[in-house]
Amino acid sequence: MPEGTERVDERKTGSVWDNFVRISMREAGVAIALVVIVLFFSATAPYFATPENFLKIFVQIAINTVLAAGMTFVILTGGIDLSVGSVLALCTVVGATIMVNPDLSPWVSIPLALIACMATGAACGAINGWVCEKWKVPSFIVTLGMLNVASGLARVVSDNSTITGLPQSFVDFGNQIYFGVLPSIFLIAIVVIVIGWFILRFTVFGRFVFAIGTNEEAVRLSGHNPRIFKIAVFTISGLTAGIAAMVFLLRLNVGSPIAGIGYELNAIAAVIIGGTSLSGGKGSIVGTLVGACILQVLATGLQLLGAEDNVKPIVIGTVIVLAVVLDTYRNRLLRNLEAR
Amino acid sequence: MTSFSSDGRSLSGMNRRQLLLAGAAGSLVLVSGVAPSFAAAKPKVGLVMKSLANEFFKQMQAGAEKYAAENTDKFDFKAVGMKDERDFAAQVDAVENFVTQKYDIIVVAPADSKAMVTPLAKALKAGVKVINIDVELDAGAKKNAGIDLAFFGPDNRGGAKLAGDALAKALGAGGKVVILEGNPEADNAQQRKAGFMDSIAEGKLELLDSKTAHWETEEANTLMTNFLTQYQDIQGVMAANDSMALGVVKALDAAGLSGKIQVVGFDNIPAVQPLVKGGKMLATVEQYGAKMAAMGVDYGLREMAGETFTGWVKTDIKLITAADL
Repeated sequence: MPEGTERVDERKTGSVWDNFVRISMREAGVAIALVVIVLFFSATAPYFATPENFLKIFVQIAINTVLAAGMTFVILTGGIDLSVGSVLALCTVVGATIMVNPDLSPWVSIPLALIACMATGAACGAINGWVCEKWKVPSFIVTLGMLNVASGLARVVSDNSTITGLPQSFVDFGNQIYFGVLPSIFLIAIVVIVIGWFILRFTVFGRFVFAIGTNEEAVRLSGHNPRIFKIAVFTISGLTAGIAAMVFLLRLNVGSPIAGIGYELNAIAAVIIGGTSLSGGKGSIVGTLVGACILQVLATGLQLLGAEDNVKPIVIGTVIVLAVVLDTYRNRLLRNLEAR
Repeated sequence: MTSFSSDGRSLSGMNRRQLLLAGAAGSLVLVSGVAPSFAAAKPKVGLVMKSLANEFFKQMQAGAEKYAAENTDKFDFKAVGMKDERDFAAQVDAVENFVTQKYDIIVVAPADSKAMVTPLAKALKAGVKVINIDVELDAGAKKNAGIDLAFFGPDNRGGAKLAGDALAKALGAGGKVVILEGNPEADNAQQRKAGFMDSIAEGKLELLDSKTAHWETEEANTLMTNFLTQYQDIQGVMAANDSMALGVVKALDAAGLSGKIQVVGFDNIPAVQPLVKGGKMLATVEQYGAKMAAMGVDYGLREMAGETFTGWVKTDIKLITAADL
């Protein structure tokens, strides 16, 4: 049994109460922060506490949530994926190009675009992972390269233009709101989060993701090949970038080579605020969802409050650092609890 | 409300004079009561711009804010810009936020002529007056979304041609030029390049090369340095904005060629004015960004008052040479 998996398994032991305290400490920290921020803006910012505003925030977080879900896998193994924004751009132009093809009926073109987006994204991710592992290059560098490559490819595919004229049924689905509270694209984001949560929590693969982030050498020594899992997490990250591209198309109805600029940093920020450790081995995808919510609630709340444009990034930047600082304090508390 | 009901009750038992008095008093209450609520019903105007790191939008914001400060009795005003001018998703968020806040008028300089159509169509549907300035929304996309919006902005192609013609006149037929383009996907970049090409065709100039420096000074500096190595006989440079022209002039300075190779730019930002005055740049083009947003607000208020505008309402452009500064 590798040391890493042992530690993960250990969490399942202990009394129910201890487990409850531990899990709520782990997950609730950021959730409480989110609630506090929401309450603050509800009290201070006009129009913040309205159904339309929350509906809008649900729509606005969808893209980043999907990207951050895949990013969580990569960061849990101790890697980083800087290419997701550009890969998203590439996938939007690939998907849009297929959907605007007049020879294809929407019944064919929409599923085809979805498959093409996911395949393109997954391929980019697989290349990232494979290069990292084959030549032992840090993922920071490989994905930085992919950031440029995918961006250039997006420009080639789209011939530097924004692609419009997506099928009406596709556009309508993007505007769809279920039960008056669930926008279709938010629903997609939630489904991605749930699948990600399931994989990390209940599958052997998920356990290996944590184990590699905790102690890769131990995984290797136990006779398992971490290489395959590491390639897989980058492939997942690329795959979610492809799904995020479909969400982008549903939300903005255009494919664009300049889509997604800077999105990688928003995704990383959501993961980190959500309590996942940059050095890997520790974190949760539910936290990532909360992290994405915090980022967008801050951005929207500050605008509704009438904050200056220049003040917004200062506040958001401070919150990112604060989240990590609080996280280390929480860890100390957790350790004390576990030592008890 | 109370003044009405008291008037109503007293109607039967009053003589004419009392009635008039009561009516006058009533209307006085009514007027004084209505006045503050009228002030609260001032239209709210939101301005959505591109990157505030761009000098041009800084001028636009300053102009609009000055105009708002002079007209605080007529409307409330808020301006927002983007961190990165290519991040049009952030611009969509800004438009949506203004709609949530029940703004009456949104004046917008679209970051992308096609992508911004859908969110703006939603804003229109929510009853917001939308005024499109600076960059025209794509006609096809507007038609698809079923909206008809007037465009209040400058003729980028015509403006670039003014600068290009000035260069053509200075060089004469056969003059060898290079173009530095803006972001290849940006509409105003494409239009400005088209304007430069018009001048080249008309003035019988020879185009050596045309490449993008993404509107940026540093990138333009590198690109120009490479052009100077690649082509030994460049006589003129057309830069699609002044930020790039700054980089070009620096490259020429370093090569000891400033003043020998003529440069034209676009935007008339304060930083290039000394260069134009000092002969390091031949000309630039003023498109009155400061006035454009204020004018957009004005058109919005006029639309609220019932006027409608269609088509292209052209705003001023002017060639700026050393003689103008």
